[in-house]
Amino acid sequence: MINRKDKWFLSTAMLAVLCLAVLFLPGCWNNRDLTEINIVTALGIERSEDGKILVTIQVVEPAAIQSTASGKGKGGGAQPKPVFVLSYEGETVFDALRSMLSQVDKRLFLTTAQVLILGERLSKEGIVEVLDFFQRDHEVNYEMDVLIARDVTPAELLEIENDIDPIPAMYIKKTVENTVSRAKVKRTILIDLIKELSKSGRQPVLGQIAKAGKKVVRTEGTAAFKNGKLIGWLDPYATRGFLFATGKVKSTIVNIPADGGKISMEVIRSNGNVDVKLKNGKPVKLIVKVNLEANIGEYEGERKKVSPDYLHKLEKIFGEEIKKEIGRAINLAQKKYSSDIFGFGEQLHKFHPHYWKKVENNWDDVFSNLPAEIIVNAKIRRTGFIKNPIMKER
Amino acid sequence: MFWKIKTLKNIVRRSTNNNSANNNSDNQEKAEPIPKSINAVKSKLEDIFSECGDLIFREIVCNSKLKLLVVYFDGFVDKRALNQDVMRPILDHFSNEKPQGKSKRISELIKESIVNNNDIKETENIKQAVDNILSGEALLFIDGEDKALIVGVKAPQGRQVEEPDTEVSLRGPREGFVENLLTNITLLRKRIKNPNLKMEMIELGEQTKTDVCICYIKGIANEQIVQEVRDRLKKIKIDAILDSGYIEQFISDSRISLFPTVGNSEKCDKLAGKLLEGRVAIFCDGTPYVITVPHLLIETIQASEDYYDHAFFTTFLRLLRLLALLVSNLLPSLYVAMVAFHPKIIPFKLMITIAASREGIPFSSFTEAILMTVTFEMLREAGVRMPRPIGQSLSIVGAIVLGEAAVAAGIASNLMVIIISITAICSFVVPPLIRATMLLRFIFLAAANFLGFLGIAFLVVAVFIHLCRLRSFGIPYTAPFSPLTAPDLKDSLVTVPIWAMITRPRVLRPESGDAEAGIKRQEVQIKQ
Repeated sequence: MINRKDKWFLSTAMLAVLCLAVLFLPGCWNNRDLTEINIVTALGIERSEDGKILVTIQVVEPAAIQSTASGKGKGGGAQPKPVFVLSYEGETVFDALRSMLSQVDKRLFLTTAQVLILGERLSKEGIVEVLDFFQRDHEVNYEMDVLIARDVTPAELLEIENDIDPIPAMYIKKTVENTVSRAKVKRTILIDLIKELSKSGRQPVLGQIAKAGKKVVRTEGTAAFKNGKLIGWLDPYATRGFLFATGKVKSTIVNIPADGGKISMEVIRSNGNVDVKLKNGKPVKLIVKVNLEANIGEYEGERKKVSPDYLHKLEKIFGEEIKKEIGRAINLAQKKYSSDIFGFGEQLHKFHPHYWKKVENNWDDVFSNLPAEIIVNAKIRRTGFIKNPIMKER
Repeated sequence: MFWKIKTLKNIVRRSTNNNSANNNSDNQEKAEPIPKSINAVKSKLEDIFSECGDLIFREIVCNSKLKLLVVYFDGFVDKRALNQDVMRPILDHFSNEKPQGKSKRISELIKESIVNNNDIKETENIKQAVDNILSGEALLFIDGEDKALIVGVKAPQGRQVEEPDTEVSLRGPREGFVENLLTNITLLRKRIKNPNLKMEMIELGEQTKTDVCICYIKGIANEQIVQEVRDRLKKIKIDAILDSGYIEQFISDSRISLFPTVGNSEKCDKLAGKLLEGRVAIFCDGTPYVITVPHLLIETIQASEDYYDHAFFTTFLRLLRLLALLVSNLLPSLYVAMVAFHPKIIPFKLMITIAASREGIPFSSFTEAILMTVTFEMLREAGVRMPRPIGQSLSIVGAIVLGEAAVAAGIASNLMVIIISITAICSFVVPPLIRATMLLRFIFLAAANFLGFLGIAFLVVAVFIHLCRLRSFGIPYTAPFSPLTAPDLKDSLVTVPIWAMITRPRVLRPESGDAEAGIKRQEVQIKQ
């Protein structure tokens, strides 16, 4: 039997060994205070003309943010700038970010980045290469929004400062969130983009951001990709058609012409899915099916009594309008870009894997030449507080 | 346990050695009988109590044959009682009539038919006489007899029974214990009118000879625990017992643990509750703090009001106290770990706020936290030690130092001030653990600064292991959760109304299982 002293010694020794293991086993345990890091809020990546990578970062100055938030309207004295923007050219993203340290005082902290803006030139040449760093690095926030800058460099966008939000990156993020509720832009976060890029049968689509004025940005429309390269843009209506087809519309306003005026329909529920119809083992038709429910939000047409029959008529016109938008998106994808952004291929991959194996490599060609059938089932649920527009009693 | 006993033995040996010189003389005194002549008695006592200016000798000569010597400490005895109930009857008796036949000894005569006072005893040896003089009795020596009479005319000493400052309650009795042992026992007897309420008196302290009383309810308290208390108390050999805290340290199961395994209270109703649950109380003369064993972790978040109020509120308060306990231990370290190690998990907006408040602070968050915590602890300590009238100015200075000025001077961040304040508030919610949390907080901070969340998690596990290992008089410290004792969960975090508490706490292994009151109450309800 071990006596008490030895037992005590043994258990202490065991504990010490365990403590040591705890010290060395975990991966990262750097003690870095918040005051020793630069909080990066946005990243912009563009390819320069000579093929190098130009990385732009937006860093917040927390103290300045606080003083702008609390000192608003006080006036007097020059307000410190809440953010600073810095660009650096390097061979790779990582290289540029590290080299940037020669110009800033503190380590760059990427986890707080809210948006990643990719330049147009870079996107046209391919985005897959630059995304490698974002997967490999341990400090990257997978939930940041990825946007493509249109007709403008990411650096220009990141330099926009306005009074709407002291942090421009937050401003951009908020506009994306708003536009999503209008179904005019597709919101893609980094992790989804990485997943989509590695998936076969669906080409990624990213949100688009442009400059709308000197101090304002506009996030509307989307960028279509083919094999990781930017191939073209979808305008806001085509974007909405695309979103309807893929069932990503949360709510939106659709204006339909009726009775010599316009009616704004507010979509409250919508689901859509795509499918491919096969005959004799060959795809013959693309099918897009959309069910949606809407309320009448505004009526500016000729004064007419709203009756059930009339609503049915409206439903039809409404459906046609949606159909037009979806058609536009499909047409663009098929004829102009020849890129299956809807994920028809994914359906084939799922349900007809054998056929998919054969057609995988030239699916975009096959896809481009298939006829599309769009089925829209629109319902009008409510008419708001009133039923009929203002009209004189007869 | 063996450990414990061994060390106790060592202590015993050590103190015995120290006192060996005194012991010899003690033994001599013990054997010595009271001399027959009061002059001899007087010189003997003068010898023992040399340079004791407050000792009064009064010689009375009633008639030529009868001489009396009264010895007492000035101020210690009630002089009026002594004069009216003892002296006057004696003087009256012996001056008016001649002493009757020698059939009775004078001491017996005085004891049985003259003195009014009903607390009167006889003694035969000097040692006992000296002891009684010391504890405030008047000693009556009669010339020619080898017996002395001990007359209990102790003057009421100490303060009145009042509400204790340390345990204030909104609801419930306000009486608190005082320094006088007998008063305390009376206060308790008033509440538990039961012959099974046992009081075992012992004397501790070689020099102070402090009265200590083991109190329990026979039939409820577990006999083994009571025996263990007796054994442990018997092993104490010490010069002085000035407070029950001395006893507490001797009888604690764990000598080094930060967590208290012996409880203490100043409130009568709380103590009565503890006894009725089957605990053993130890009264100690000279202190209002009565200690109770076994003391379990759950008791730290129990308050006497819990049982006087609705069970829902009690449950809420218990959970609140648990939260406060966790917060007061962990909040500063969690903050330091987040800011220094894991900024990734802080929400973006909050991070900006934190970063902004930390901007320009020359210290790391750890240093800042240590500085502020130490400042707070100093302030608290100053608040306890300083004379009352200074209190206000101190609290003003403290508020300025801890709050505004530190932030304005750029020494501490706003957020740190808030965190330290919350921690401070929370630490006062669970008074029994204030000391433990005070130290644990620093250890947690160090761990957080060293390894971040990992360090905190590591330490939390270590603390839990320690808690699970602790015992209080053989009862697991973490009971009723570990080991799980289902019937006792009724009075843990979630409490049931008092009429539904029909079993005694099982963890204390009571001699009889069920609380009669609870059962009867239920029966009454059914009848209605």
